Amino acid sequence: MTMGLRPYTQRTGNGLGSPSFDVDQGEVLMHVLPAVGIVFDNRPPEFPGTLYISSRQVVWLSDVIMAKGYAVDFLSMSLHAVSTDPEAYTSPCLYVQIDTGDDEELENSDSECHGEESENFDLAAVREMRLVPSNPNELETLFEIFCQCAELNPEPTGDEEEEEHNWFFGADQLEQMPGLSVAGDDEEQFSSIPPSSIGHSNGDHDQLARTVLQLQINDRRFEDADEMEPENNGKHC
Amino acid sequence: MLFFSYFKDLVGREVTVELKNDLAIRGTLHSVDQYLNIKLENTRVVDQEKYPHMLSVRNCFIRGSVVRYVQLPPDGVDVELLHDATRREARGG
Repeated sequence: MTMGLRPYTQRTGNGLGSPSFDVDQGEVLMHVLPAVGIVFDNRPPEFPGTLYISSRQVVWLSDVIMAKGYAVDFLSMSLHAVSTDPEAYTSPCLYVQIDTGDDEELENSDSECHGEESENFDLAAVREMRLVPSNPNELETLFEIFCQCAELNPEPTGDEEEEEHNWFFGADQLEQMPGLSVAGDDEEQFSSIPPSSIGHSNGDHDQLARTVLQLQINDRRFEDADEMEPENNGKHC
Repeated sequence: MLFFSYFKDLVGREVTVELKNDLAIRGTLHSVDQYLNIKLENTRVVDQEKYPHMLSVRNCFIRGSVVRYVQLPPDGVDVELLHDATRREARGG
């Protein structure tokens, strides 16, 4: 999956054309709004264009330059908000923050301020987008549609919920912890702990899980030092 | 679904949502969905000097996956109730 903003060039149909959506994969066109300007970071606005909102992505196509178009998936939009304060931006707009998938903070947007003249800016590094409808009354509708579509696109992480039942949550569970049980089928119980079961939501899960496994291994060593086999240490980390 | 139910009880209260990109937004919790997507109203950015262009947005939708912390109103936290609820949830009951 592509994170962030990308160029869109697959117009279909006559005249100015329109985006082609992946109908086979269930992608549905939700809303079309003409006469919308688009602004990236601190760059000058591009206008006019037409906004196409599908169940998966937002596509903006220039009404003037056929080759010009942009798209961003709802999965890459971290935040959207109606901005009406002239101090924030001169025209009322829908403000969108884009997750580029790159954690390097803000360095890119600084350098873009200097390169405004360039047509070939790095789309994938754009972190902010403003959609400026010529009719500000469209903003509330636009906001609500973005909300609906965001909800149609949850994170593609599958079966997390089942794994979370392995959380360690109370003193009365201590006896059942694999690290504290006596020999036997320890190996099997070790491997049944998913690597992400602890510290999952923080992003550091690998590190944390490793620490926890390490603790369990240590505990076990104290319990039956005799049966400790050297290769067990590495196997489960 | 524990956190979903918990946050639903906080609708209408003032919360501060801190994003993974360090932006912190304070506002009235308007709604929350099963993915912990959060809608705030009457929002303001906590660090206004760092994010001047976000000074005032009326309403704001924040994707659940980009939220790092939600700061709650102190009286919205019933520790005993949460203890019980987390235990029940963890036991799958």
